[in-house]
Amino acid sequence: MEKKLLRFKLNGLEYEIFINPKTLLVDVIRDHIGFTGTKKGCESGSCGACTVMVEDMAVKSCSVLAMQVEGMNVTTVEGLEKNGKLSPIQEAFLDYGAFQCGFCTPGMLMSATALLKENEGKVLTEEEIREGIEGNICRCTGYNSIIRAIEAVSKGEYKEG
Amino acid sequence: MIHDFHYLRPDSLQEAMTMLSEYGDRSKILCGGQSLLIVMRQGMVAPEYVIDIKHLNELNYIRFDEKKGLAIGATTTHRAIEKSDVIKRRYPVIADMENRLASIQTRNWGTIGGNLAHADPAGDPAPVLIVLGAEITLASLKGERTMLLEEFFVDYFTTQLNEDEIIKEINVPVLPPRSGCAYQKFNLLRNDMGIVGVAVKVTLNEAGVCTDAKICLGNAGRVPIRARKAEGAVIGQKYDEKLFAEAGKIASEECEPVSDIHASEEFRRHLVSVLTRRMLVAAWKAI
Amino acid sequence: MSGEIRELRYSMFKTGVRYTVINHKTRNIDGYAKVTGRAQYTFDIKLPNMLYGKILRSPHPHAKIKNIDYSKALELPGVMAVVTGKDTLGIKQGIWRRYKELCDEQILAVDKVRYIGEPVAAVAAISEEIAEKALDLIEVEYEVLPAVFNPIDAMKKDAPEIHEGVERNINVTRHIEWGDVEEAFAEAEKDGYIREDWFRTSSQHHMCMETRAAVSSYTPDGKLTVWCSTQAPYYMQALLAWVLGLREGDVRVIAQYVGGGFGGKFELDAAMFCSAVLSKKLCRPVKIVFTREEDFIASKRRTPMYYYVRTAMKKDGTFLAREVRVFTNGGAYTGMGATALYLTGFFCSFPYKWRAYRYDGFRVYTNTLPSTAMRGFGAPQAMFCSEQQIEWMCKDLGLDPFEVRRKNAHTECYEVPGQAYIQSCGMTQCIDKIEQWVKSKGDLGPNRAIGISAAGFMSGGIFNWFDTPYSFSSAVVIINHDGTVDLYVGCQEIGQGSNTTMAMICAETLGVRVEDVRVFSGDTGICPPDLGAWGSRQTLMAGNAVKMAAEDAKKQLLEFAYAEMGLNIVYDLDIKDRWVHVIARPERGMKYEDLVKKAIRAKDGQRIVGRGYYTPRRKGMISPAYSYMMQAVDAEVDPETGKITIHEVMTAHDCGQPINPLGLIGQLEGAAAMALGYGYLEDQPMDEGKILNPNLVDYKVIRATDMPKTGMIEIDTYEAEGPYGAKEAGEGLTNPTAAALGNAIFHALGIQLKELPFTPERILKALREKSEKKEAN
Ligand SMILES: Cc1cc2nc3c(=O)[nH]c(=O)nc-3n(C[C@H](O)[C@H](O)[C@H](O)COP(=O)(O)OP(=O)(O)OC[C@H]3O[C@@H](n4cnc5c(N)ncnc54)[C@H](O)[C@@H]3O)c2cc1C
Ligand code: FES
Ligand code: FES
Repeated sequence: MEKKLLRFKLNGLEYEIFINPKTLLVDVIRDHIGFTGTKKGCESGSCGACTVMVEDMAVKSCSVLAMQVEGMNVTTVEGLEKNGKLSPIQEAFLDYGAFQCGFCTPGMLMSATALLKENEGKVLTEEEIREGIEGNICRCTGYNSIIRAIEAVSKGEYKEG
Repeated sequence: MIHDFHYLRPDSLQEAMTMLSEYGDRSKILCGGQSLLIVMRQGMVAPEYVIDIKHLNELNYIRFDEKKGLAIGATTTHRAIEKSDVIKRRYPVIADMENRLASIQTRNWGTIGGNLAHADPAGDPAPVLIVLGAEITLASLKGERTMLLEEFFVDYFTTQLNEDEIIKEINVPVLPPRSGCAYQKFNLLRNDMGIVGVAVKVTLNEAGVCTDAKICLGNAGRVPIRARKAEGAVIGQKYDEKLFAEAGKIASEECEPVSDIHASEEFRRHLVSVLTRRMLVAAWKAI
Repeated sequence: MSGEIRELRYSMFKTGVRYTVINHKTRNIDGYAKVTGRAQYTFDIKLPNMLYGKILRSPHPHAKIKNIDYSKALELPGVMAVVTGKDTLGIKQGIWRRYKELCDEQILAVDKVRYIGEPVAAVAAISEEIAEKALDLIEVEYEVLPAVFNPIDAMKKDAPEIHEGVERNINVTRHIEWGDVEEAFAEAEKDGYIREDWFRTSSQHHMCMETRAAVSSYTPDGKLTVWCSTQAPYYMQALLAWVLGLREGDVRVIAQYVGGGFGGKFELDAAMFCSAVLSKKLCRPVKIVFTREEDFIASKRRTPMYYYVRTAMKKDGTFLAREVRVFTNGGAYTGMGATALYLTGFFCSFPYKWRAYRYDGFRVYTNTLPSTAMRGFGAPQAMFCSEQQIEWMCKDLGLDPFEVRRKNAHTECYEVPGQAYIQSCGMTQCIDKIEQWVKSKGDLGPNRAIGISAAGFMSGGIFNWFDTPYSFSSAVVIINHDGTVDLYVGCQEIGQGSNTTMAMICAETLGVRVEDVRVFSGDTGICPPDLGAWGSRQTLMAGNAVKMAAEDAKKQLLEFAYAEMGLNIVYDLDIKDRWVHVIARPERGMKYEDLVKKAIRAKDGQRIVGRGYYTPRRKGMISPAYSYMMQAVDAEVDPETGKITIHEVMTAHDCGQPINPLGLIGQLEGAAAMALGYGYLEDQPMDEGKILNPNLVDYKVIRATDMPKTGMIEIDTYEAEGPYGAKEAGEGLTNPTAAALGNAIFHALGIQLKELPFTPERILKALREKSEKKEAN
């Protein structure tokens, strides 16, 4: 199969790679580039473990052809911290115990980050937060600790910087 | 495992149609891929050429005109529809339906054109758009044709689309005054596919008599089904919950649901009956 | 600085706070790795020279393998090897090393397959895609045999024989009995109340977010290293050595981060076994990751049970006797299911005192996916039956269900005859608290009610079917010259927070801070053996070992401190928050770091090493301690559609001394989500042994928008056998929920549901039957 050139930005860095065009975004991120924070938990677009942000929008990277992000900005969990400093939502996840096995966590953090970005300056209701992470399955936590963590950030309890 | 394919990325609708006319059934349009990639992964679909139209902004729009109504381009995402102010204002039933369609991630990337072309009988948009009287416009190098959306669906995962055609636009007429709509799907998890879904639109005259009613049932047959007999039962009538219950029963006899692991045929009929009644009430109250 | 510390400590001692670490909300020490994507799961491992494996699985529920021809697969470019059962030693393995007749699983089938999805061959190739293509080129000739899918049919005389020589397919039987059951029932017959019911429970899947995965690397020096997603690295080390014909010491198992376990990952699985066999053949690393579908169809599940319960009570609600018979759908192999069979029988007596009790359990082989341990280990099934029946009996007799439970509940220092010694027990307090909560809610309106259920669970099993020669748990504490502590434990972190719990126990005991402790776990190459994370054993058993190791190290430090500080030997010394001091006069002391430096110098430059180990002694047959709980579920049902909405779950919980409150809440909420799923969503319907929903579209797992509010009322008890008084928390919390939900539906709609899960159709059917009965009367 003829390979195609894909150019996009991952966590702020420009990448140029040749791929089989059928390659899924998640596999480009994990296998071709080597950021393994993003996980996979199903083959049906159902679990959200592979959630990344494309242009600040949460998407399931297992359900996006990598070629489709040509020229776009993609952010994964590895892109949340800045020079070793965790982002507010990462800090909140630690304080609220919003993870257990941690396998859903990278995807969960990306859904949460996209939700918070979309609603910057607004205090989210519990309902809105629940809807915001509805696409992410967590088998361990029962979600409520995650809701509390997102709520805390939304209320401004954690400051960027 | 996805089979290898040639990846094509047209820069315009025109170019996309040219590619379609060239490759025909050896090709497949890819938009958000939220449905297509799953079936490709299962090996159920293995096109030689994939024509990616996701980035075609030409088809990415929501326009509203007081006369012509609402026009949604095929590559518009579910999320854009859900969030659209004009849709929230003029067609809240569409925005609400979208809000419970899959998860945010899927709505962010999946499109209305892809959803309708996929023709899953459990799809949410079709019943709602059908009761609103929506039309769908298909385009090919040969020209365009427009049909009522309810005529678009042929069978499970099958539509009127010819192999060289592409969905261009969906049009929803302006609702007549004193109209109300409601949609609900029955499922166990909030954002799951519906076990069945029922959409209702009613229009009343000034005396409160129903002059038009449309009822469309999702996942109760091979395609979204209009419950015409049930509609007939409420047209010409006033608000009457007993009557609505009767209409629900009629609707449950009109549909052709199947049994699967999520529900038996009998239960699906029962749900159609209950939801039809409830949606008639809700549509009336939405006026 | 030190003055400040002294101030702080002083006030702390005066206010009577006992612990500086225990019971303080503590960030999970693996958290940084987990929230930044650094945590490397088996799923993420990529080694130089690594190959990818795939497994060919049986499409038949029961068939003889006549021939396997993989020559075409080998011809496919990129395919490096194909193995079948014939390439293995063919050892029938299992966790039952002491009971060889229960070791019945060959993982790669040798001559026969017994369920759909059973592995028959494995391929290693240079990419996953090629390996998958190669599977299609393997030709297997089967002779299809008649199959049987449920235990009742499988026990019939003419049922197909699944394992040679196993009569009526009965795999294991278990019997528990105390008291004179006949006499007690006779008494109830005269002047009491007897009720009997049949129940059926469903097939719940662990559905760990990380599917089964393993990377095996065998090297020409005869050593094997296996990275895998397991709850019990030591078991895997021993089992792999056994089935591969290696010495245990030549096998190293590493399970650093594990994406969920819930009881599903402490047996040897095909990812580990096949990758190891392939790697041994090729001397290259081989990675196998199950797809979600494979995980659903071919990694074991919660045991489905047919349950008969007959209960006798006095008219005033005093329990007399209970008779229980259980037939479990064991599936094709024993796995851990035999223990679930025992525990379900034991926990069906829980948490009550019975004058007489008799249990007979039958685990029956069928041609379905084997069933095994899953969070609660047989107890959720038992509670589902027991707690609903008790509720119904209370209603039948017009008794207060709280009062009846209180009257019969376990209490401190109770002995379950011949079975268990209960030391700490907060059951009565749990009942009181939930009663208050329920009463405070008042009337909830139509079709909505609160259901309650009591439960209890073990804190680690006293089972050694594995025949380990080592103590159940062990730990090594090493204090470095700068005061930092390396803690080596064999207990396995699978998300339950055991690394943090162990670090906390270690820090508290030594008198340092959690950040001073670095935990090394999940690697048999460097960690002392431990039976692993199952049966809720970690906090109590591994916790005791850690405490003992830390005490050992601390003793060495304090011995030196007496000399260094020139103290009167009657003074008691302690270390708290890095301050070594005289307990009676906390301001008199020295810095822990200074003491450590000097002590190491005095020890001829050796680091301070403490060792600890734990094996339960004289604690009955089941567990050294038991947790208790009472749960209330507030639920609403749409009587027209049968749809359930759950509003709130409130739990009163006696887990002894909580170690990390943050972890505890997480366990409670996680258990509620999983157990509610058990109650109304999760099941694996089958057709002729084929699972019909092996994906996350059709297998329903609770999501954030469906998850109700949760609350916890802590009941303080102190368990003498547990480290700092702690008991289990997390597994047992799965036990009461389905029953409490059932009871909520019972009170909301007046229907009795005897089959899990509570689907809308079952609810509507029960409602129909109820109204038909009414009409008939
Ligand atoms: C987890 C999950 C849950 C879901 N839940 C729901 C739900 O609750 N309700 C619901 O309705 N849907 C649901 N869906 C389905 C999904 O959201 C839609 O079907 C999807 O948005 C389709 O849009 P797409 O752009 O991704 O289409 P694609 O996957 O790209 O394409 C789907 C099909 O449409 C064709 N196609 C796409 N665009 C065009 C066009 N312009 N002209 C002609 N043909 C075209 C493709 O060739 C293909 O056959 C769910 C999907 C997932 C993964
Ligand atoms: S891996 Fe499950 S949604 Fe992408
Ligand atoms: S933390 Fe384990 S799946 Fe969410």
